[in-house]
Amino acid sequence: MKAGVPALETRQLVYAVDGKVILKGIDLRVEYGEVVGIMGASGSGKTTLLKCLCGLLKPTSGEVWVEGVNIAPLSERERMPLRLRLGIVFQDAALFDYLTVYENVAFGVERHRKLSREQVRQIVRERLAWVGLEGVEHLYPSQLSGGMRKRVGLARALAMDPHIVLFDEPTSGLDPVNAYQVDRLIVRLNRELNLTAVVVSHDVVSLMRTCSRIVMIEAGQIIAEGTPETIRQLEHPQVRAFLRMASSETLDDVPWLGYNIGQEAQV
Amino acid sequence: MREELVWLDEESPRARNAVQASLEFVGALGVLLFASIRGLFSGRLEWRETLHQMAFIGAASAPIVALTSAFTGAVVTLYSASLFVEVGGGNFVGGALAVAMFRELAPILTGIMVTARCGSAIAAQLGTMKITEQIDALRALAVSPIQYLVIPRVLASLVMFPMLGMIANFAGIVGGWVVADAFGIGLSSFLQSIRLLAEPFDLIGGLIKTLVFALIVSLVSAQQGLAARGGAVGVGRATTRAVVLSMVLIFAANYFLADLLFAKR
Repeated sequence: MKAGVPALETRQLVYAVDGKVILKGIDLRVEYGEVVGIMGASGSGKTTLLKCLCGLLKPTSGEVWVEGVNIAPLSERERMPLRLRLGIVFQDAALFDYLTVYENVAFGVERHRKLSREQVRQIVRERLAWVGLEGVEHLYPSQLSGGMRKRVGLARALAMDPHIVLFDEPTSGLDPVNAYQVDRLIVRLNRELNLTAVVVSHDVVSLMRTCSRIVMIEAGQIIAEGTPETIRQLEHPQVRAFLRMASSETLDDVPWLGYNIGQEAQV
Repeated sequence: MREELVWLDEESPRARNAVQASLEFVGALGVLLFASIRGLFSGRLEWRETLHQMAFIGAASAPIVALTSAFTGAVVTLYSASLFVEVGGGNFVGGALAVAMFRELAPILTGIMVTARCGSAIAAQLGTMKITEQIDALRALAVSPIQYLVIPRVLASLVMFPMLGMIANFAGIVGGWVVADAFGIGLSSFLQSIRLLAEPFDLIGGLIKTLVFALIVSLVSAQQGLAARGGAVGVGRATTRAVVLSMVLIFAANYFLADLLFAKR
């Protein structure tokens, strides 16, 4: 970590495919220790942005700086070692389904670090304890619940001691209790390990709970940026519409859609 | 060197017509071959995965290769023996079968059976890993999918195909002999005619063919799997394509190899 160098930065990031521009010049800066939420509807380009940030996708133009290195012009082979600085938690965890939980978490460590078997075992056990999973090492991903799979995915990402972790829809497909636990975990890791996190999600409640800053993107462009508080009070019509649709502060406000059918134009 | 060519994403450009699609296929295959050769010499070999694949492609395929070859040897002998015995050439039955098995039938049968059994499995497994983001997860952990998934499969195929070819040769000859026996051709004259008509190069040339087929099946199936996109349907499409393309390429390569290896002899 160098002083003054942001953890992640994109400059005029453009991603286009088949003549369709998905990201239209994104300028994003993530400082160390921040939890930044990238909020947007499905198809807004937020997952594409995440994949560009970690170098899984090569941007059409613009720059992507990871800890002071521009990864945009690098080849797949050159980008490979740089990826170890980032941990990625995939939407459906993307655990290797033919390996046990233990082998999944140990996967990167066994290949990139010269450690004894006992040291690897210690790392795996510790990371699984961090995410609140103990005694599941011998199970296969198919034997776990959705929430547990996500937490194993997080443990796998944390095994390499990354400075930055990217989360792709960490709460999607989870029940409210599990979603809350995953959110708490993100905040706790940020506090205790000073982990920098980028959370891509359309789950407004989860983002408001976890993020120190929220960036809203729509149709491949950043349309609003600020703390959860400022985002909540913003008068931007698209942001207001998204927040209103996506969440309600209290359950009392949740309208039963049946009453509103036919009146949706007014909503 | 664009390794990205190999794992086309939902976000990757789509081929617009057949010419573009064919060029894309050939390009991706070339990249994969080149990257595999480079990875084999520069990267770390995944021993466990390679051994696992050798068991799957080799040992587990042996019974089915032996069975189909035995029946093929039997049917070839059924036709040739009835013909040869009629014209008094019963002594040639064994040799004719051996030459046919060594040069053509054993390599082709090995190629087809392993394509059906393992090519489809390779494409389906890699395709499923692709659409469930497991390939991305590998890359995110700085493990090259080529190093971890493709090279073990190519290597295992290269080692096991010639062995399967030998098994096919043996099973085909045994199957043929059983039928020849029914036509009253004795074992000693059967073996004698093999020694007389078949040359060592028939055997070696056939095994060279299996090496080429090994490369075709493993690379095509891996490429199709890694390029899968579009959910379960996409995996199905990739599996079908892997099998069809592998078989077509095996038959095409077989012709040119036959011309190269045996035509002048």
